[in-house]
Amino acid sequence: MFGHLTSAFNQILPEIILLAAACVNLAVGPFLIGDSGQAASGIRHRWGVWSLLALLLAGWCSLMPTPVIEATQLAPFQVNTLVWFVRLITLTTGTVLVLTNWNQTSDSDAAESQACLLFILAGANLIALANDLVVLFLALELVSIPTYLFLYVARRDRSGQEATLKYFLLSVFSSALVLYGFSFLYGVAGTTNLTALHRVFQNYEFSAIPAMLLVSIVTIVSGLAFRITAVPFHFYAPDVFQGTATSAAALLSFIPKVAGFIALIRILGQPSVEAATHLGYWSLAAKSGDVLFLLAIATMFVGNLLALLQKNLRRLLAYSSIAHAGYMLVGLSVAVSVPQINDDASAGSVGGLPALLFYLGIYGITTLGVFALIASLSCPERPLETSDDLAGLSKTHPAGAFLAAVLLFGLTGLPPTAGFLGKLTLFLSAWNHGTDLGRRLAICLAINAAIAAWYYLRLIGAMYLQPSRNDTRRTTGVPAFVGVSLCAVASIALFFAPDWLWQALQRVGG
Amino acid sequence: MSELTPALLWLIPGAPLIASVFIACFGKALLRGRSHVPCVAALAVSTACAGFMMLTFLAMPSSLKQDTSLLNREQIQDLPVEAEQQEPKPLATTPGYDWSVTENLRVRLDLQVDSMTALMLCTITLVSLLVSIYASGYMHGDPGYPRFFAAFALFVFSMCMLVLADNYLTMFVFWEGVGLCSYLLIGFWFQKPSAAAAARKAFVVNRIGDFGFILGIFLIWKTFDTVKFSEVFDRIPSVLETNPEVFTTICLLLFLGAMGKSAQFPLHVWLPDAMEGPTPVSALIHAATMVTAGVYMVARSTPLFVMSPVAQMVVTGIGAITALLAALTALTQYDLKRVLAYSTVSQLGFMFMALGAACVSPKLTTFAVTAAMFHLFTHAFFKALLFLGAGSVMHSMGDVIDMRRFSGLRHVMPHTRITFLFGSLALAGCPLLSGFWSKDEILVALFEGTKAGGHETFFMAILVVAVVTAFLTAFYSFRAYNMTFLGEERFPEEAHHPHESSPTMTLPLFILAGFSVVIGLFLGPTGVYARQLAQSTSLPEHGDHPHSVPLMALSAAIFAAGYGLARWMYVKAPGVPAKLESGLKPLHRLSLNKFYLDELFTYLLVIPVKVLALVCTLFDKYLIDGLLNFVGSIPSMIGRIVRPMQNGLVSNYAWVMLLGLVLFLIQMLRAFAG
Repeated sequence: MFGHLTSAFNQILPEIILLAAACVNLAVGPFLIGDSGQAASGIRHRWGVWSLLALLLAGWCSLMPTPVIEATQLAPFQVNTLVWFVRLITLTTGTVLVLTNWNQTSDSDAAESQACLLFILAGANLIALANDLVVLFLALELVSIPTYLFLYVARRDRSGQEATLKYFLLSVFSSALVLYGFSFLYGVAGTTNLTALHRVFQNYEFSAIPAMLLVSIVTIVSGLAFRITAVPFHFYAPDVFQGTATSAAALLSFIPKVAGFIALIRILGQPSVEAATHLGYWSLAAKSGDVLFLLAIATMFVGNLLALLQKNLRRLLAYSSIAHAGYMLVGLSVAVSVPQINDDASAGSVGGLPALLFYLGIYGITTLGVFALIASLSCPERPLETSDDLAGLSKTHPAGAFLAAVLLFGLTGLPPTAGFLGKLTLFLSAWNHGTDLGRRLAICLAINAAIAAWYYLRLIGAMYLQPSRNDTRRTTGVPAFVGVSLCAVASIALFFAPDWLWQALQRVGG
Repeated sequence: MSELTPALLWLIPGAPLIASVFIACFGKALLRGRSHVPCVAALAVSTACAGFMMLTFLAMPSSLKQDTSLLNREQIQDLPVEAEQQEPKPLATTPGYDWSVTENLRVRLDLQVDSMTALMLCTITLVSLLVSIYASGYMHGDPGYPRFFAAFALFVFSMCMLVLADNYLTMFVFWEGVGLCSYLLIGFWFQKPSAAAAARKAFVVNRIGDFGFILGIFLIWKTFDTVKFSEVFDRIPSVLETNPEVFTTICLLLFLGAMGKSAQFPLHVWLPDAMEGPTPVSALIHAATMVTAGVYMVARSTPLFVMSPVAQMVVTGIGAITALLAALTALTQYDLKRVLAYSTVSQLGFMFMALGAACVSPKLTTFAVTAAMFHLFTHAFFKALLFLGAGSVMHSMGDVIDMRRFSGLRHVMPHTRITFLFGSLALAGCPLLSGFWSKDEILVALFEGTKAGGHETFFMAILVVAVVTAFLTAFYSFRAYNMTFLGEERFPEEAHHPHESSPTMTLPLFILAGFSVVIGLFLGPTGVYARQLAQSTSLPEHGDHPHSVPLMALSAAIFAAGYGLARWMYVKAPGVPAKLESGLKPLHRLSLNKFYLDELFTYLLVIPVKVLALVCTLFDKYLIDGLLNFVGSIPSMIGRIVRPMQNGLVSNYAWVMLLGLVLFLIQMLRAFAG
């Protein structure tokens, strides 16, 4: 018994470090606030450094080999290559988030704000680790609940409160849906252990599936679709992104997507080497393909078409994040559907799952980079709210304009940025799938990438071609700017050396 | 024995690239007046590496070449090119950058060095090192100082990669790379309309050639299923059986590319205009290195070209026409740099004449290609020297370069004068200097063509043209020298205080002058260069190495005649040129106006294209734009229709979510029910 406990402890050591660090924040933070209700000025820098240290330590621990555990299949946690990948992206993007959040909160709120971030990151990792529906749900909530707090702490004016409340209500609704679906799963299979569940369903013929199972898939997918901002569960995103602080918008644009996609992958299929390049071959996943197909198409089109009309930057990025969720759903639908094997296509086939995860990582660094840039360059006297504020940025802040151009190229999917490779692998995975579904998705993806180019390039055009209304140079928020530079460099570096990330992904579920 | 490591190989192009990026990033803010330091340092590293590599190649006698144990360890492969020849040739390949996402999506960038590449690399790195030192003095105080050196280093990187490429595609990429750098550097003073126009002209004219080159590459790919040099050459016998006609097409297309880059008639019009760029650029790019890329490409493709005598004859013919026309034009130009530019065009024509002579007989192939490459080699040194000398004059004369406005500079600029004299002697083909040996080899190659091979009359005509051109060369080079440095001392009013240039500028001149004097004698008649080049994988091994003493005597006589005539006309009897000018007015006009080729191009090409462009613009503006605007407005129209759903009410959002869920459920149950 005790042995099992220590082994479980070893498996989630990085997450424990993050949680412990966050607890320290919460425990110590209040004592550093003086009688006046204000903390000593500059203390946010210490909390920032502290969070970075925690992330660094967690990263170091996750690199250490985890002991192999007997009877691992029934344990609450399961360590595999997927976990390794999720830790990699949450810890790297977590660093950028901490840097973005650095100057976004006041000194007295910094401890709590950074603690929430660490909780959320740990929760995202635990989703990948979970091997049990209960643990999975807890992990999902470990992402959601600190997010409410984070949104509120980051901005407390009227619009901030409205945004937080909107997110809270709809998020609770979606959690209820997920839990409802879980209960059906338990009802059908009689177990909450995921490995056991997958084994039970693997042997079902499709016609013999209880209708209850279909209801459960639909509710689970719908509930998680809220997290990944898929249409029609996306409505909160533009309002919340616009209403809340930049760092909170940055968080919402990426971490819930990681949570949602990884949870979907964990529930719909067991990524394993035997399953070749896709999740299918077991009845629960195979039929969710239709739902995911509809979701993907609707999400891509709605996100991109509405983004065309936006003037507010964060609102635009909200729609852009919806559109990107659509691209990733293309990968997921391909991953769960049974491919049409033919010799031509399979030779160059790219798995839907690796393509999705590859895109997820690349999207993360790119979009967080853009948010970090907004956080870095806007100050109360000179906000960076609308696309008009971007005009003439190449004059008022040349380095920032250049990095923004790189990142926007990445979001558009143009070489030489990693975004190009992300879209390319997704397209190849869909096109070489060999089915009508795959081809339709690939064509929609291409059309949407073209539509998206219009509003991203318009921003670059504003930065470089339009005159600025105020020619004084903008000031730079240093920590966030470091984050921007990291993201831009990573985006270009991954284009030239995609191999190391891609090779690692090839091992995730084969 | 020294070893050739991949790192060393990568350092040759890598060092200039790093320097270029470094200068581009930090030049304006940090380095400013010191921007030349990283560039010169990087080029010194490259030169050292290239020299070391050359020594490794030299140190491999034939017996050692079969000892592959050493080579394999360092990932150097010995690849026999022709099956019937057992002796392998040294070829270093190094696995380079491997960009791959999936198995099917794999791009490799490998480097390959054989003796031809090694010789080219030595020339490129050494000349560019010297020119960069010179440029640090010449460009001093220019507001674009960092920009100049960033582009300069980028050029050296591209040029090295061009010769290091192991396939046609990589070669093409860096072929375009050098074109880009050339564009950037010709238009370096882009505020000057003439410089901007010249840069544009160079770029556009080169496009015509590149169009042929890329078509040639496509055809090679289609025919051979590969663009890698070694594989293409291996598969020649099999293609020869099935489709022998294709070689002529491929070779002519490739040659079109070479004509653009190496400024061959009728695509040579860009090169004289390219002199609008800073003089060090003219020296390096438009005389010594980039313009020889076409010669290198044709030499590299020798196995393809020998399969098509027709293409070879075209190469020779175009070379001869170019050489003669350019030399005739150079006779009357008053702009010192333009004289040199036309002389470059003319000398490139010489090289192509020799390359074409490779078709005479298989035994002569190696000799003919060697003659061309050797002329390329010596020409790089003395032409760079002449240009740098002209730059020195220009520097001192307050940027005046018209030879009518100054003369007799021999006392003011003794160092420039003496080095320029050596350069002129080498160019004119003075016996024992480098130009003499290389030009003599070309004449011998052409002479061999008149003896055998079935195209005797053709080569007779070519030989006559070559001899006449050689005479003209001697004449115009000393015309330029005499007009500039001899005669009465005169300065233009722009020259505030005529002076000798600084040591940073004269030192490279002396070094280059040294090379121009000795390099031909050391490497030509001794056969060192020829033996070394024969090791190239693109060339058949042994061949004849004919000599002809009468031809040597003839070429010495030609030199003497040209020199004497120039001396008589411009020193002894200064009235003669004016009399000749009025006597032969139409001919003089023809030469002075460059045979009206620019005007011809304007009427034949530029104006029709402009009319076509106007028609296209109208079509685009009224039809395509309207259509596109309509299509473009559809997405935002749909967006406007959907927008009202986003009304900010939480209860509405929850309702729509629920609706979506129900919709999915219905879809799922329908699928379940079948």
